[in-house]
Amino acid sequence: MTLARLPVERPLPRPGPSRGVTMNATVLAIDEVSSSIRRFRVRPDDGVPPFVSGQYFALGVRAEGRLLQRPYSTASAPDQRDTLDFLVRRVPGGALTTRLWALAVGTRVHLGRPKGLFSLDPADRRAHLFVATGTGIAPFVSMVATLATRTDRPGIVVVHGAARPAELAYAETLRGVPGARYVPAVSRREEADRSGWTGPVGRVGSVLRASWPDLALDPLGTVAYLCGNPGMIAGVRGLLEDIGLPVAAIRSEEYWSVPSS
Amino acid sequence: MAYVIAAPCVDQNDQSCVAVCPVDCITADPDVDRKFYIDPDVCIDCGACANACPNQAILRTDQLPSEWADYAWVDAAWYRDAAAARSVVNRLVAGAA
Repeated sequence: MTLARLPVERPLPRPGPSRGVTMNATVLAIDEVSSSIRRFRVRPDDGVPPFVSGQYFALGVRAEGRLLQRPYSTASAPDQRDTLDFLVRRVPGGALTTRLWALAVGTRVHLGRPKGLFSLDPADRRAHLFVATGTGIAPFVSMVATLATRTDRPGIVVVHGAARPAELAYAETLRGVPGARYVPAVSRREEADRSGWTGPVGRVGSVLRASWPDLALDPLGTVAYLCGNPGMIAGVRGLLEDIGLPVAAIRSEEYWSVPSS
Repeated sequence: MAYVIAAPCVDQNDQSCVAVCPVDCITADPDVDRKFYIDPDVCIDCGACANACPNQAILRTDQLPSEWADYAWVDAAWYRDAAAARSVVNRLVAGAA
């Protein structure tokens, strides 16, 4: 194959005018969930766009002349008209999260469009099982809030695992949803002992396995949503398949570690 | 290390990548451009575009075969001088014919 004369050694053209990336939202509140997790409440200038529970938005800041952004699922429900909440875990040395940790209330940020297919099916009448680790609980907080508004609300079970009790974000919110079963779990025994944790200790897969008989879920009448680290998702998916959930009834979204987040 | 849209995208106009990119870093002017372009300054290396592309046109920069290596320059250049990038795409396509 003969190629045309190529530009590989040619420097890139000089940067053109800004492509119109705008700071289109304002940070309204920053809450410290734990030493490594914060909740950012953001108000878009033009109101919250229509979205489906489970979708994510890119959250970004300007840094060194460029836009630095990462996608985060919102914990807010679509009926929230003014603000969106995001759970962010700090990545040591991460380019974006280091800057997010330095933000003050009132800072202008960039908010992208809602995206993602890991979203709630509003017509699904099956019982809903949500299994999350860490900040993977965020999309489920939104989904549970949406389900809770339905008059024909299906059964809801939320299993949330974290390394330490303080990282069980939205515990009080989820514990207070009428008719929902909330199963929090702490994976690190020493953290559980130190904080006086009296709930389940262990990884979410083993906690789910032990809790299953009490959850009263029909494997053929349940849809499962899994969100968090890939190892958890693989393990829980296998467990649920063994229990008898159809493969198509298990939906998942992995929270991957973007280099230098 | 960004992803790059290479030769298999030319004249396809599929846009699956645009739909899934979480940070909206893929664009083009479909009336003018023969392919789509990833902005390497914005790409977060998630790989969603590569998984979505039905033409297997999207690869990491360090995985590009040598005959497609110049598409890395093309993608970055388009966001600075679209006409120059388009010109090079035409030359690459002509050279590969």
